Amino acid sequence: MMEQVLLWFFALAALAGGVLMLVLRHPMRVALALISTMLSLAGIYAMLGVHVIAVFQVLIYVGAVMVFMVYAIMLLDVRDPSFTRRYSAYLLPGLAGLAVLAFAFVHAIRGSLPAVEAPAAGGNFNVQQFSVAFLNDYWLYFELTSVLLLAAVVAAIAILKARRGNNG
Amino acid sequence: MMQDLVIRGIYIAYAIGMLMTFGLILTWVERKQAAVMSDRIGANRAYLRIPFTQIKLVWWGLFHGLADGMKMLLKEDFRPVSYDRVAYALGPWVVFSPVLLVFAVIPFGGTLVPAVLFDGSPAIVEWFGDRSYPMQIASLDAGLLVVFAFSGITVIGSMLAGWSSNNKFSMLGAIRSASQMISYEVVMGLTVIGLILIYGSVDLGSIVEQQSGVLLGFLPAWGIFYQPFAAILFMTAAQAENRRIPFDLPEAESELIAGYFTEYSAMKMGLFMFAEFIEIAIIAALFTTLFLGGYNLPFMSDAGFTLPGGHFIALSHGTVVLTQLLVFLVKVFLLCSFQILVRWSLPRFRYDQLLRFAWKFLLPLALANLVVTVVAVWAIRGAGA
Repeated sequence: MMEQVLLWFFALAALAGGVLMLVLRHPMRVALALISTMLSLAGIYAMLGVHVIAVFQVLIYVGAVMVFMVYAIMLLDVRDPSFTRRYSAYLLPGLAGLAVLAFAFVHAIRGSLPAVEAPAAGGNFNVQQFSVAFLNDYWLYFELTSVLLLAAVVAAIAILKARRGNNG
Repeated sequence: MMQDLVIRGIYIAYAIGMLMTFGLILTWVERKQAAVMSDRIGANRAYLRIPFTQIKLVWWGLFHGLADGMKMLLKEDFRPVSYDRVAYALGPWVVFSPVLLVFAVIPFGGTLVPAVLFDGSPAIVEWFGDRSYPMQIASLDAGLLVVFAFSGITVIGSMLAGWSSNNKFSMLGAIRSASQMISYEVVMGLTVIGLILIYGSVDLGSIVEQQSGVLLGFLPAWGIFYQPFAAILFMTAAQAENRRIPFDLPEAESELIAGYFTEYSAMKMGLFMFAEFIEIAIIAALFTTLFLGGYNLPFMSDAGFTLPGGHFIALSHGTVVLTQLLVFLVKVFLLCSFQILVRWSLPRFRYDQLLRFAWKFLLPLALANLVVTVVAVWAIRGAGA
């Protein structure tokens, strides 16, 4: 009973945050909507008994990623016209891409949905299990991701440097 | 099920009550201690007069907290024309609520067995059976991570507040606050990793339990004796996180009026202040838990005292519970007082000095401490295995 209510609450909050994120125009409000989605997802993870994942969700996504996003948005000029213009020139291609993506998702999920629902993982997923799995099975993927992020950072700096060079 | 709900409800009420009381009392302690330190009489103007008499209750100025609260509640709630009313209204709450939430994982006592505590009444004994509860609102095994997760949210609140106020001073305060908190969070995290290595756990309850042993035959096995260096670094970084003098650059009144909450008035401003004072208590509670043996006296565990010589003094369950609750409060209060001592002793940094202090002084020291700890733990455990 209690769990059902909480699950509905967090699920609706996550969905509402996601929708608001798409509808709102102002970057700061979009960031706030995204934060509320992340927090609701963390709530759902915690209810599934995987506290570790919930904590990392808050710690990394809200505590690190979103903090830097809000920091950057804070320094933006809020009178920029792109915040008030509703649709960009890529509206139609974007919609077409969305339709294709949605179709692909539905197709993939329909094909692979298990007949019987798997039982929930239970509340035994603790920090120790997480660390063992993380450092034994997933360390390579983790390192690859960080290399990817590093490449992105270097690319961003390269673009900025190139623009500055052109200006002066 | 119902029993769990009752016990947790009592814990939550106790925790919120305790934090609010600390927040209120610390506003008075701050003034009174400043007065004592600078040889003044200090906060003694507010008093209650018993109606129809001339008896005035001064009580060392304790009612100043009451007067403050009344003032904040009754002042005009001034709203500036801001970019974003939602963010402006949200700001104080995003600063205030994570501070309270952090306390959810801090243990304020050992294990409570209601049936043993109330063994005089058969109804209670029967209702609770052999259930036992650690005195901690949420005994999560990711305890320490939860602390860092929640304290990371506070940054967003101060940025929202400063940004949405539509004021250059607020904006500068928000930028300073964010940069400072991000920098010192790194240091704080690194200092704690050494402790995690030694205790082999991030569960705060288990960390406290491991501190009731004996170290080198005569010292209590407290974190501060394992990691004295980390204790100093942690205290420094934690005070910088709380943005108080000497780290109060985000709200430096001689430069930025009041920094990111310049445009806030009445109780909204009060929430920022209250959050700051409660965070003093939270830092004290965390430091107690990590470095000072938590709710236990030296050599004490849930069963009783195990003195260095091997003597064992058993204590009844009621005595243990009461002692632990009391010891925790006393330790937290003394550490709060220490933080206020620091606040009234040191002058403010310059902003570049503040960031340089974090990245070029504290961070290398924290890393060095971590390396030494890793090598020591590896050598000792390796020799044992």
